[in-house]
Amino acid sequence: MGIDGMDTVAAERPVQQGEAATPLLELRDINKQYGLNRVLNNVSFHVRRAEILALLGDNGAGKSTLVKTMSGVVQPDSGTLLWEGKPVVLNSHADAAELGIETIYQDSALVDSMTIARNIFMGREMVGPLGFMHLKQMREIAAHVLKTIVAIEGIDSPDKLVGSLSGGQKQAVAIARAVHFKRTLLILDEPTSALAVRATEALFEYLRSLRAQGLSSVLVTHNLYDAYRICDRFVVMARGQVVFQATQKETSVDELTEHVSRGD
Amino acid sequence: MSLQQTITDEAAAQRAKAAGRRYRRQQSAFDILILFLVVIGASVIYGLISPDTFAFNSFANIQNALYTIPIEVGIPALGVGVLMIAGEFDLSVGNNYIFSSIVTAQLATNGMNVWVAALIGLLIGTGIGLLNGLLTLWLKIPSFITTLGTSFFWLAATFFVHGASSQSFTPDPAFATLTAGSVGVIPATFLWWVVLAVAFWGLLERNRIGNHIFAAGGNKQAAVATGVRVNRTKLLAFALAGTTAALGGILAASYIGNIAPSNGEALPLEAIAACVIGGLALTGGRGTILGTVLGSALIFWIRDVLLLLGAPGFYIDAPIGILIIGAAAFYEVLRSRRS
Repeated sequence: MGIDGMDTVAAERPVQQGEAATPLLELRDINKQYGLNRVLNNVSFHVRRAEILALLGDNGAGKSTLVKTMSGVVQPDSGTLLWEGKPVVLNSHADAAELGIETIYQDSALVDSMTIARNIFMGREMVGPLGFMHLKQMREIAAHVLKTIVAIEGIDSPDKLVGSLSGGQKQAVAIARAVHFKRTLLILDEPTSALAVRATEALFEYLRSLRAQGLSSVLVTHNLYDAYRICDRFVVMARGQVVFQATQKETSVDELTEHVSRGD
Repeated sequence: MSLQQTITDEAAAQRAKAAGRRYRRQQSAFDILILFLVVIGASVIYGLISPDTFAFNSFANIQNALYTIPIEVGIPALGVGVLMIAGEFDLSVGNNYIFSSIVTAQLATNGMNVWVAALIGLLIGTGIGLLNGLLTLWLKIPSFITTLGTSFFWLAATFFVHGASSQSFTPDPAFATLTAGSVGVIPATFLWWVVLAVAFWGLLERNRIGNHIFAAGGNKQAAVATGVRVNRTKLLAFALAGTTAALGGILAASYIGNIAPSNGEALPLEAIAACVIGGLALTGGRGTILGTVLGSALIFWIRDVLLLLGAPGFYIDAPIGILIIGAAAFYEVLRSRRS
């Protein structure tokens, strides 16, 4: 990556919203069993480019196992994963990362005792010979990222310790990190559960602007109201199966609530 | 936006800015540096006021300090500190210090080239550290326990290889000067300490490996999620703790002229105490090299001052205990005020 790593996905491939072409990521007939417990049962669904998808379902529905399958942490017993139409096997988190998939966890995978700049470049530090970091450049890029990709309120310096940020700000930093390193698919695990109202709005703004740049997001959430406001399409799971799929125009919060609570 | 809202926003922004300023400094050794300068300053002034009863400023006292701090705790604390930041402990550094230096001394005394013997000693020390790391990470047990166990092992190994008597060490003049001589009035051991501290600072605070060390200790899951090779990073830290222990032992052997097998017990806890006083968090992920340096100096300082004031030997350790508790509490107050 060049030092001016500021190109986003859009520079590579201009897209329209919900482009009806080959899906970005497709899962076909995924099965996963832990002992006698069939956690994923012939699950098939897909994520398109420039789409915000909601993955809904009550506890135990299989959402988190599905997410782990998508991010390479868990390997399915059977079934296929396709990335841009081509079959792939994800044996590790690193494989998924290479394709451009990044999971934003509730705790944002950030180290509280370190600065924003060091966190953004964690594992991908800009180094010279012998591994000495170009701290000044890292800080400059981090400052730029904070201003442009996700204009985060209240963060004026990349030297702030992540521990001093609020939940929403931490998530924004994690998203900024993912975007800066040109991720194409973000998986957000319960992103709004710990956020104040204003931070939730800000998060949705980022996701919309990322969508406009061609990134796709999968929101795993219990909050149907939030999901309905921001997502283009919904996938409801129950007992390890996909029980309902619809676009935002085709359905309503009430209908989604019914499917989630009934489990069919 | 109403006026009310504007005012609240501004107030919030101001608070955030102030918090940011305070928080930004947290990783620096600013506080411990101030503490250090204050206590040293006070001692110097008192020494000037009554030099006969308090010989703090005497050449002998200062030079003794510069010779002793590095080998007694300073150099091993560098390795122990880096390991602590990575989230792990090494309680075997004391017996490592003894074993590695006794082997070096024994080999040299029996005719081996002293430089080769010293190199072997360093390799042994590093190996002990690596073994600690491998056992901890492979068996998935706390490093506190692993190194408690290996500490006993290396104590036994010392008796096995050497017996219970002390081992003398009189290396050839070139080695002796390099390790225990002085450059003008500056002792060689102090220079070793300074050079190592700068090297460790470069590694920890300027190198990618250091970034990974902070991450491994600060939030292991975050480190793994971002692709950091946590085990490899920790193994390096374990190895470095072993190397600095052995180096401290070898320099001490050269300076003092002999090694007694039973002197290793206090070192690990003393090194950890130096790190805690220097602002390192016991839970990992936080700390500076300057902190370990100043913490080591402060531990020595308190004993030195008490000795100079004529305190009986058994009163000297109590204030160290108070210093350790006080320092940890002080940092805790700072941390909670800033969050």
